[in-house]
Amino acid sequence: MRHITTAGMLVAVLALTAACGSDEVAEEATAAETTASESETPTEEPEPEPEGTVIEMTLAGGKVTPAGARVEAAAGEPITFVIDADTAGELHVHSTPESEIAFDAGRSEHELVLDQPGVVEVELHDPPLVVVQLEVR
Amino acid sequence: MLPGASADERIFAHGIGGAQDLPISPGLAIAGAVAALTVSFTVLALAWRNPRYDASTSGRPAPRLLASAVDSTAFVVGLRVLGMALFLFTAWTAVLGEDLLINPFFGMFYVLLWVGVVPASLLLGPVWKALSPVRTINRGFALLTGSDPERGLFTYPARLGYWPAALGLFAFVWLELVYPQSTDLGPVRLWCAAYVAIMLVGGALFGDTFYERADPFEVYSSLVAKLSVWGRRDGVLVIRSPLANLDTVPARPGLVAVVAVLFGSTAYDSFQDSSVWLRFTQARLDQAALLDNVALLGFCVGVGVIFAVGCATTGVGPGESRWSLPDLFAHSVVPIIVGYIVAHYLSYLVEVGQQTVVFMSDPMSDGSNLFGTSDLAVNYWLSYHPTFLATAKVVAVVAGHVLAVVAAHDRAVRLLPARHQVAGQLPLLVAMVAFTVGGLYLLFAG
Repeated sequence: MRHITTAGMLVAVLALTAACGSDEVAEEATAAETTASESETPTEEPEPEPEGTVIEMTLAGGKVTPAGARVEAAAGEPITFVIDADTAGELHVHSTPESEIAFDAGRSEHELVLDQPGVVEVELHDPPLVVVQLEVR
Repeated sequence: MLPGASADERIFAHGIGGAQDLPISPGLAIAGAVAALTVSFTVLALAWRNPRYDASTSGRPAPRLLASAVDSTAFVVGLRVLGMALFLFTAWTAVLGEDLLINPFFGMFYVLLWVGVVPASLLLGPVWKALSPVRTINRGFALLTGSDPERGLFTYPARLGYWPAALGLFAFVWLELVYPQSTDLGPVRLWCAAYVAIMLVGGALFGDTFYERADPFEVYSSLVAKLSVWGRRDGVLVIRSPLANLDTVPARPGLVAVVAVLFGSTAYDSFQDSSVWLRFTQARLDQAALLDNVALLGFCVGVGVIFAVGCATTGVGPGESRWSLPDLFAHSVVPIIVGYIVAHYLSYLVEVGQQTVVFMSDPMSDGSNLFGTSDLAVNYWLSYHPTFLATAKVVAVVAGHVLAVVAAHDRAVRLLPARHQVAGQLPLLVAMVAFTVGGLYLLFAG
């Protein structure tokens, strides 16, 4: 029985460590913001800089970039898709609830706000490709 | 999942449901791994040297009132009627319902049945055995023909053991995780029809034994139920500690395959959502389906091989076969499976499960509100508290690991010759640590 108690204690210690770990999450969130602002730097263009996360997507000849990258985003803040496409299409955002972004051929900008934390896949259906996995925190 | 979502919508992740859980933090993953490692060696070094669990003596009889209620005809028949009602409702949505994601069929099959059976069996015992519509139909046929439902035309071959159940479980996870049309009504309905047909033919041929060893859902449910406090000794309802109860799992051929499919497929499900696998398969889109199939099979076989080698790498007594050991130790993986299932499916069960209950009021997708649940809103508290969710996951994984190590230790001191008891356990312990740490890594990297 003593050993089960030992095991129980270890689990308790773990739970405690985890509880203290909440600070880490906060740190990560800050880190996420930094990454987001860093990724904005290369997108500098004459047009006004959008706030929050910016995702540059190109669709040409059935090929999409990015193709399945992880992108961190903050819950409740705007996520902007800057789309450069050679054909019209639709982005399916598998958030809860789900939403869709329809785009035309050419260059366009679309804003999305996700409130619920989680990993959200954004995909095209034709061709069936995941563009990004948004890590919403 | 929005009402009106187009029917051809192909949904990743678990087939249904929107956002997936955030990965757990590295700190939490490391804390979990360290705890698992420490516990493993603490148990090996300090735990008892004589076996403690014995199916023929463990457990104390349940209170008489409870036992007579559970064994009463009214209770048994009531559960059969409930199971049959749920089955007929599901069949109605499958046959006459619309091919839409708001059809509750998908949620009832993938969430309430497949995931819900785990907590239900953990709390209440072997629920699928009590509810199973195929058992009920078999019993009905037997009543009509005046035969004995427990006996079929033939005796179930002992060598088959749980192998048919392992195959059935693999067929399920293949449908759920790999098959591209897993959320199209037609193929899923066909899968269910094949399941019911095979179960009825099997029951007619081999009697109730067939359900006990070949029905994938019953084998899964009854295995998880061995971690509940409810057991039977000589037919009498007893209350046991989950570890003593787990020790009563009958070791039959194929048990390793069953646990390997259950753990391997859940690990694959985590893995297939990872960014690494996603980018790898998207770069080879024409082979993506093949790669998914190979990966699912690889995870299941990999888990089975690692476990079997971990069990067999020990000294055995004269005249004993080391390759009989994996099936004799396989029960000890069940807590690892349950811990990882909790981690993997907790938010999915709670949130998509609620969504399914909402959809159940409108089985024909015509706007009706049969049970008055149509207007309920889904509570997303868990998703909005990712730190709590992540902590719960890691605690579940580590708790499962602790139970697994203790169960394996007790079996080892019973089976292995005294001089091989410590060294002989090491490879199995390493295999278990690999499963737990691997599972935590997937929760972190997913």
